[in-house]
Amino acid sequence: MNEERYILFDQYLQGEMTVEERNSFEKQLSEDHELSSEFETFKEVQLRLTAKFEFEEEREAFKANLTAISDKHFNTSTPKVVLMRPWYYAAAASIIVLFGLFFFDYNNPTFADYDNPEPASFVERGDTNATLKEAQAAFNDGKYKEAIPLFEEILKENKTPEIQYFYGVALLEESKYPKAEAVFNELKSGTSLYKEKATWNLALSKLKQKKYKECKEILQTISQDYENYDDIERLLDELD
Amino acid sequence: MLIVTLLCEIYLQLFSKLATKSFFMGQTKIHPDQMYIEGLAANDSAIIQTIYKKFVPKVVMFVMNNSGDKEHAQDVVQEIMILLFNQAKANTLQLTCPFDAYFFLLCKRKWLNELKKTSNKGVTINEDALSMNESALKLITNTEEFDEKQQLFDTMFLKLGDKCQELLKLSFTTKTMEEVAAKLNVTYGYVRKKKSLCVGQLTQWIQEAKNFKSLKNN
Repeated sequence: MNEERYILFDQYLQGEMTVEERNSFEKQLSEDHELSSEFETFKEVQLRLTAKFEFEEEREAFKANLTAISDKHFNTSTPKVVLMRPWYYAAAASIIVLFGLFFFDYNNPTFADYDNPEPASFVERGDTNATLKEAQAAFNDGKYKEAIPLFEEILKENKTPEIQYFYGVALLEESKYPKAEAVFNELKSGTSLYKEKATWNLALSKLKQKKYKECKEILQTISQDYENYDDIERLLDELD
Repeated sequence: MLIVTLLCEIYLQLFSKLATKSFFMGQTKIHPDQMYIEGLAANDSAIIQTIYKKFVPKVVMFVMNNSGDKEHAQDVVQEIMILLFNQAKANTLQLTCPFDAYFFLLCKRKWLNELKKTSNKGVTINEDALSMNESALKLITNTEEFDEKQQLFDTMFLKLGDKCQELLKLSFTTKTMEEVAAKLNVTYGYVRKKKSLCVGQLTQWIQEAKNFKSLKNN
């Protein structure tokens, strides 16, 4: 086996060559047909390996699903009908009643009661930043999953408290708690306009995770000057 | 049985006429049936069920009319579905003709090939070339080539030693080669070199098989 050759291929593909090395390698490729043919195969093998391992789980899931559907399709002659006896209905009904009682007993406030994120409006008229526009539109349409990567891209270049705040809200909506709380904590320890809002959202994050005690503790740190203090009072009352 | 075969032929001819028409209207236009391909790639149960309901009965009929039974048909369909999944995942499958004809012909050719393997009866499978339009035929050739290459790759991968297989699996499922080195408790330089050589070994075997094939064809 031509070991040197494969090590060279890999270095080239990983971008580890100097400019001169690259140029000389590319020149060789254009002149040596056998080398370039083998290089193509090398790249193809890399692709197949990626496909093989990257989609391994998905492929197994697909095969399992396919087999189930296929078996069902080809064996439709054995339908399974389970007869339900009257007392089964009684049992089922009582289980439902029990469930209802169980849930009604714990009448805690929920995240959904307080979940009304304000619309983002950081794009000014004539603003040409396409990613920013896209992020705002996605956020305001409630497509938080799409908005998250857009915010991340924007934050790489332009880290403002405003963008950070909406990024955090989007993360919270998608239940990415550790990430969301990291963002809110950073804003909370800062001095921006979003300091209090971030703290409020930090409390909401705890609420969403049903960590009522932590939620309460955070709420108590918010000053009464906060613009939406009514919400905080209401939530504190419900938590008691 | 004769009637069914006749019906098939009429269908194909009709289809090829229709397809030729759309072929001239837009040469590389992706057919709306691409949704079946996307559905397979996304493991969408509703789409898979629709394929079984709408397109599989025809395949079953064909296999049963050509020395096969229901189980044979089930296997052929399943193999083609997995092949389509793989090709869709590799992003190299863009439907330019109706799924119906494409799927049926793939299954048909697969079954005829199976028959050819087990019996000595001469089976001609090039008859389709006469009745199919160019873009559909190209698509089927592409898929069959993809399958052939995949099988060659799979065979060669299994020929690799356990260590190579393990290293490659780790390399392609771990973010960085530094992490791979840490997991295997060896140096970075070693894993990098070893990985190049394992990929190289696969490359060499596949290249040899390719060269052999082109020799045989010339």
